[in-house]
Amino acid sequence: MKSLLIGEYREGRLLDTTYELIGFAGQLGAESAMLLVGSDSQLPAFNGTIYLADAGVCGEYNPDLHKQLILEVVGKLNPDCIVFMHTSYGWDLAPRVAAALKCAQISEIVAITDNGFEVGCCNAKMRRTVRSATGRTVLTIQAGAFPVAGREGTPCVEQLTTAVTSTLEFVGYEPAEAKDVDLAKADVIVTAGRGVGKKENVPVIQALAKALGGELGASRPVVDAGWVDHSHQVGTTGQTVSPKLYIACGVSGAIQHLAGMKKSDFIVAINKDKDAPIGEVADLLVVADVMQFVPALTAKLQ
Amino acid sequence: MEATREIYWNIGHGVVLPMYLLTLAAVGVLVWGFWKRLPLYRLGKPLDRCDRYEERVNRMIGDLLGQEKVARVRDGGLPHNLFFWGFLTLFVGTLIIMVQADFLTPVAGVNLLKGEFYKAFSLVLDLAGLVALVMLGALFVRRYFVRPEGLETVNDDIVIHTLLFGILLTGFLIEGARMAATELVQQPDLASFSPVGKVFAQLFVPFDTSSISASHKVFWWVHFALVLGFFCAIPYTKLRHIVTTSANGFLVPLEPKGTIPTINMEDETVEQFGAAKVSDLTWKDIFDADACTTCKRCQDRCPAHVTGKPLSPMKLIKQIGETAETTPDAALPEVIGADAIWACTTCRACQDICPANNEHVGKIIELRRNLTLMEGAFPGDEVRGAVGNLEVNGNPFGLAYASRGEWAEGLPVTLMESGAEVDILYFVGCYASFDKRNREVATSFVTICAAAGIRVGILGKEEKCCGEPVRKLGNEYLYQMLAQENIELIKGYGVKKIITTCPHCFNTLGRDYRDLGLDVPVEHYSTFLHGLIKEEKLRLTAEAAPFDVTYHDSCYLGRYMDVIEEPRSVLTKAGGRIREMAKSGYDSFCCSAGGGRILAEEKIGTKISEARVSMALETEAPLLVSNCPFCLTMFEDGIKTGGAEGKLVVRDLAEIVAERVKA
Amino acid sequence: MKLLVCIKQVPDMESRFKPNGSGTWFDEADLAWRMNEYDEYAVEEAVRLREQLGESAELTVLSIGPDRVVEAIKKALAMGADRAVHIQDPAVADKDPWQIASIIVAHAREQQYDLIFTGMQSQDRGSAQVGVLVAEQLGLSCATTLVGFSYENGIVTAKRELEGGIKGVARLRLPALVTCQLGLNVPRYPTLPNIMKAKKKEIAALPVDGLLAEPAVAVTTSFHPPAKKGGGVVLEGEVGVLVDKVIGILKEKTAILR
Repeated sequence: MKSLLIGEYREGRLLDTTYELIGFAGQLGAESAMLLVGSDSQLPAFNGTIYLADAGVCGEYNPDLHKQLILEVVGKLNPDCIVFMHTSYGWDLAPRVAAALKCAQISEIVAITDNGFEVGCCNAKMRRTVRSATGRTVLTIQAGAFPVAGREGTPCVEQLTTAVTSTLEFVGYEPAEAKDVDLAKADVIVTAGRGVGKKENVPVIQALAKALGGELGASRPVVDAGWVDHSHQVGTTGQTVSPKLYIACGVSGAIQHLAGMKKSDFIVAINKDKDAPIGEVADLLVVADVMQFVPALTAKLQ
Repeated sequence: MEATREIYWNIGHGVVLPMYLLTLAAVGVLVWGFWKRLPLYRLGKPLDRCDRYEERVNRMIGDLLGQEKVARVRDGGLPHNLFFWGFLTLFVGTLIIMVQADFLTPVAGVNLLKGEFYKAFSLVLDLAGLVALVMLGALFVRRYFVRPEGLETVNDDIVIHTLLFGILLTGFLIEGARMAATELVQQPDLASFSPVGKVFAQLFVPFDTSSISASHKVFWWVHFALVLGFFCAIPYTKLRHIVTTSANGFLVPLEPKGTIPTINMEDETVEQFGAAKVSDLTWKDIFDADACTTCKRCQDRCPAHVTGKPLSPMKLIKQIGETAETTPDAALPEVIGADAIWACTTCRACQDICPANNEHVGKIIELRRNLTLMEGAFPGDEVRGAVGNLEVNGNPFGLAYASRGEWAEGLPVTLMESGAEVDILYFVGCYASFDKRNREVATSFVTICAAAGIRVGILGKEEKCCGEPVRKLGNEYLYQMLAQENIELIKGYGVKKIITTCPHCFNTLGRDYRDLGLDVPVEHYSTFLHGLIKEEKLRLTAEAAPFDVTYHDSCYLGRYMDVIEEPRSVLTKAGGRIREMAKSGYDSFCCSAGGGRILAEEKIGTKISEARVSMALETEAPLLVSNCPFCLTMFEDGIKTGGAEGKLVVRDLAEIVAERVKA
Repeated sequence: MKLLVCIKQVPDMESRFKPNGSGTWFDEADLAWRMNEYDEYAVEEAVRLREQLGESAELTVLSIGPDRVVEAIKKALAMGADRAVHIQDPAVADKDPWQIASIIVAHAREQQYDLIFTGMQSQDRGSAQVGVLVAEQLGLSCATTLVGFSYENGIVTAKRELEGGIKGVARLRLPALVTCQLGLNVPRYPTLPNIMKAKKKEIAALPVDGLLAEPAVAVTTSFHPPAKKGGGVVLEGEVGVLVDKVIGILKEKTAILR
């Protein structure tokens, strides 16, 4: 089985998620090559061929150009699967490749099973097992679902060039809004989810964070509702974190949130609903009312 | 010598014609003044408030003579009433004199004003004048020296006080002058029947007859001129309330309290829903501004106003009138302000106390209907979410509709869809179905019913929100969608009686659903339990030691449905010793959750629930009992955030009863 | 200018999902249905553009599925779409993204839409493929995951949401397709007059048979709840007891409490 991994590179930097692709390929037991629009000064540690297009020439992500590069390599390599991360890059590009190759795409894989690929559905509440019915398959994998490959090996680099006309023109990046907290550096994060009920309850969660010497985190709905500033948002659209202790208070566990925190060392979830998806990743699930349990825990800690 | 007096003494009968002509002219000015206001009222939409004519006349006369609503607030109300009766007596006395002098004497040659009747007549009028004068003084002191908070004093007030003082004082001066020259000399015994006049007469005693006669003439004409001025001022000053407020006694809504017009959703010619402009309201809504006396009682009792929200029911009434008068095309939401419009809890405290029978809540609903149905606006994003949840899952929490009946698992309750026969349909409502705290109330209620041998049926997952909160927020469309589904369902099961544990469901199913075709008796559980106890189907074990408790009248049970005594009786039978809060019964203070506010965050001012909790704390009872899931929720919250934990516990009446049911 | 917005009706995510008879998708009993949340943003953005362009534009809303999807269509019409296409397919749940995209393409190719809006993904299936597949098959310029959109003189400026709060801005020439992310706008609540007007708007019903020629490329073999994480402890009970237990476990398992 041959796989083509599509690495990610943005603004002169190789993204760490690239190593998850390698980890996935390892689990799949596939012989893999990689395609990267990047620069030879920042190549991943990888034992295999890297087809490298120079980002200095190609510019930042242009889907038409990247699709064209992938199709060229697919033509050379004839891989069984083409693997992307399920990120803004992957979910944008993968279906374009699948369409061009007229092959199946399986999105946001969380596990590999004997019957096919396991993917989340119904807001992470359920799972599907999906099989491809075409010879070649495009895959996207969920961030954080697969082990990160050890950073070892030396790639064999093959340079690529191509030119396309595109109807899409990249204009530029807008930086994330200024952060007043750097959750990535926190040892403890206590996160407020929709289950805290209302804005006035957020200080209760903050008090627990303070008692543990940690930072306040927030789920997307809480940020969207304006209860907590965006800089505290944990998840794929906020910050991806891996503290020593992560306490999720009233967070049901939307997939984007889980992806952003599941690598934490120890996860405690406090939720009224025993069946909330957050339970999947929690080391400890406390079935209780957040507004009763959290103040009691804070009081005990002080 | 017979007790009587000469009318037109010192003035002469020659004055009769000019006097009547001038009076007629003054009345003409009065009528003209109101006539000119008619186009203002006509800006509003038509509304029939002349049906059931006799009933209306009776109510108006009762209101007018009884002045009961004015007396409900002692401060201001009592002196106003005494003044009113005094002044009215003087007015009637003047009419009697007029009839005697200008009709009975010249036409029939009969004199009624003589003998014992005249003595009584003199005494009554004299005292009436005294009472009016003293009360006017009291009101003057209140307005200009005590200055109660929120009382707005305008130029009208000084004009009115001057006119009335002038009329009363000159009246006594005329009497004093006449008595000094006649009664004091000729019939000193008779003078005792005019004790106040006698005092005024002393002022004139030192003077000679011609001076008395001259000053009498002057005072008579000044008095007459002031009376004419009074007539003329009525339509142009706050005095107009004499006419408009009285008229409002006739124009009261006669349908059950809390009735909101049901919009016909089939009518495709309607292009405007709710009130964006004054012309979208009814003429009565504009007229109410004229009937308002700015007594500010509504404002004093408004839970939103007293906790710092930008709503004053009084200001709202006035703003509508002013807009009609000055800028009839102005956008009302801008004039009044969306925050004020959304702040109302529809608790009806304003409307209940209004001595002018003004209708505040209906105006708010119309303003909200415009915001909701025409602009798709919400008081906050949390309400937008809750409304979305209601549309999809039939409950504001967004919980799976299929789990609505799960609270009843293992309880003696039948699902209506099973087809088994039941005595009552328990319409559970969203809070008792889904909210953990309120599920205890639902459980308590069915436990009580089981003990009384009542077979209870529920709709389970088929039940939907009754639609009350969204209706009060103006979303008539969603309300009717939810209502129609519930009505079809209930009709389909041939239900004979519905009981609710929620006063909001009770109001909605029992009154509002009638407009949409549901005609099944609906009762709130507090009266239902009261009935069961009375019929001895339910027996309670009053605890050996009675317990102290304070009872909160929910707005929608007390003020809206007049259920005040029954829950108290049940509570007492269960061993409760009720310590009333300062505001109870019809004067109860809202918990904050009415009017759809249950779905909204309270972002402005202080918390209404905390204000109410502190009133409960003042009774020093350790237990607060309510009868409404919204109240229970709000007080649980208010006790926590208001720092009353450990001092006060809130429970529902059903929970208290369930613990004391004799098997 | 011809605008199209593609919407899907999905179960409310608060529902409890049980596998259906074949075990490959959920059982539809006891589910509450609503418009896919991502699609609400797409409809709103499309309606805003329709309003910006005025009478020179026409906005069509399209949905595939059984009769119940008409409810979602009606909502889009009430929000401001001009007309609707309901592609009738009682077995829509068995189709893979490739087939769904092909059905839309079969309709859209004839209609020559200038700009198509879709949600970034559906809440139930979550494949995030259909929009891009449609764009590729029709040869449209395409941008995904929009949190910002503007249109002027034939050029769409799209703000894409990337990871970590960063946004990427791109310009697209028409014809184009954009997929919309949550938070792109605030979807309006339909006003009553618009709900009434929507009742009179055309909903063209097309049977799916005439539009689908493609076989499925991906097959779902199972639909099931996720396996619980091994070793995850679940604690229930009285709050005071829970607090003590949790502190005990934290002391034992983490270096935070010592």
